Amino acid sequence: MRCIVPVIALFAMLAPGAAAQTTDPATKELIEKLLSRIDRLEKRVAELEKEKGTVVATPAAAPATTQVKAAQPSATQAVHASHEAAPVPQAETPETAPPVYPVLKISGFSDLDFSATNLHGASGGFGAQTLLAPHSGFEEGQFTLHLSSALSPKVTVFGETTLTARSDASTGTPPAPGFNAEVERIIIRYDLNDYFKLSFGRYHTPINYWNTAFHHGQWLQTTISRPEMTQFGGSFIPVHFVGTLVEGETPAGGLNLNYDFGLGNGRGQVLGRGGDFSDINNNRAWLANLFIKPDALYGLQVGGSIYHDSLNPLNAPAAREWIQSGHIVWQKETPEFIAEFANTSHQPIAGGAASNSQAFYVQTAYRLPWFQKLWKPYYRFEYIHVPRSDAIFRSVVPDFHASTAGIRYDITTFAAFKFEYRHYVRRDGPGIFGFFGQTSFTF
Amino acid sequence: MRLIKSVSLRRAALVMALFMAGLPASSSAPGSDIAIVVRPDLPVDNLSFAELRRLFLGDRQFWTSNLRVTLLVRAPGGHEREVVLKTIYQMSEAQFKQYWIAKVFRAEAASGPRIVYSNEMAAELVNAMPGAVAFVEADQAPKGLKVLKINGLLPGQKDYPLH
Repeated sequence: MRCIVPVIALFAMLAPGAAAQTTDPATKELIEKLLSRIDRLEKRVAELEKEKGTVVATPAAAPATTQVKAAQPSATQAVHASHEAAPVPQAETPETAPPVYPVLKISGFSDLDFSATNLHGASGGFGAQTLLAPHSGFEEGQFTLHLSSALSPKVTVFGETTLTARSDASTGTPPAPGFNAEVERIIIRYDLNDYFKLSFGRYHTPINYWNTAFHHGQWLQTTISRPEMTQFGGSFIPVHFVGTLVEGETPAGGLNLNYDFGLGNGRGQVLGRGGDFSDINNNRAWLANLFIKPDALYGLQVGGSIYHDSLNPLNAPAAREWIQSGHIVWQKETPEFIAEFANTSHQPIAGGAASNSQAFYVQTAYRLPWFQKLWKPYYRFEYIHVPRSDAIFRSVVPDFHASTAGIRYDITTFAAFKFEYRHYVRRDGPGIFGFFGQTSFTF
Repeated sequence: MRLIKSVSLRRAALVMALFMAGLPASSSAPGSDIAIVVRPDLPVDNLSFAELRRLFLGDRQFWTSNLRVTLLVRAPGGHEREVVLKTIYQMSEAQFKQYWIAKVFRAEAASGPRIVYSNEMAAELVNAMPGAVAFVEADQAPKGLKVLKINGLLPGQKDYPLH
């Protein structure tokens, strides 16, 4: 018996890691038979003990035939879901006691990338994280920390910070640092109920799907990079929004209508940045976002948004901006489908014709049923058109269309390899093609 | 006798180790219905299957304005979890974990479900925590807890959806 306890303890320690593994059908069947036999034997033992009027304690993780009295110690071992359902016991906090606020949880995301393209100069308006560098090589992706902290049953704080490698590290006077630190999101939200939640902070602007679905978690998204229309550092849509949001969800007869209404500073003088330090004019930006997730088509999300702001960009005339966007998403993996469209309209305040720029992408992927379902090939087509009359966008947003074909391989439940080929056709420059690789993970 | 006891203990240790390693372990006969249990004072008796899915997806987070839902989920390996992942979530283990990581990352939930390791632990926590909801084998549903109807049906009735 003394030998058995360490063996059990050893396997118990190995259990979380082993959970991700798979078993061949024969072994699985054997185990089920053995477990079934144990169940029968335990029931028989329980019956015999009942006849004798005795109760024997069994381990907390034993099968459910364990008697309630025997489970008493387990109540103090109840755990928060570490990384949302990873079965790793944590602190010995008695869950039956009232929670002690704040309840802070931290998780992280990061990635390491490789790119090799035929581009030997400036990328011409593409975001840095599109990985269109003038030289081939490895690149450190963003190091992202996500924090969520419940301050009370109804008040929660969410934060997301990133460290991003700089291309000009240690140059200039004083020398530039090696990494940019950025508060990507900081939100405090009061949840009245499911229908009404009020928050203040710095958000990823909820006017398209990708921007609020994947944030800076490269591991969460199928592809290596975001679509250019919603790329970090890009300008087509305002990626960040500083202000206040009301949001909620109502069943709406099975449609499950979700809404966001926001009021904030809008874009800064550099279009790719939100107005973090006050607004640059006296006109607040506002947005409205609606989407449905019908019960009848579990996995489907369809929505649309509208956004308005007054712009005072650094190197372009002041203008009023309207953005209309829509998306349709099938949130499963056999297949996965994401399509988004946005039209951005600029009306010069000093007068003149309005310009409309359009962007869309369509992405599809499929989790293959073979090889333990670890492989997921994907394809994306994206398009951005900026008319030359658009004085706001013409020097900062690329006009192009591109195809991306790749495959994702999930090394473990929490890490992935991705390999892809891209081909860009640009209006104002030669085409670009290249190979890209990434390993991304959460921790 | 001593040899038999030793062999039995070794077999028991092996099976226990495999069980704890997260391999498919049915705590009772596979195929039995799964009951959704809550505290008796919860002001809900029946949920449609769609409402149940929204609850388990973390889309519905409040029973009432003053009562937040606390979701209790069995650790991997339990038959109950397999049934819930297959019927309600329609996800694999990996997809389920990724779903909750993304849910919290999107600031749609402050945390994921709480993990329980047995029906007894689930029952005890449901009793202790207002708003908690858990799923257990129907034939082992603890006395003193309310079993919710799903689409107006209780476990064991024809067309009950969780099995």
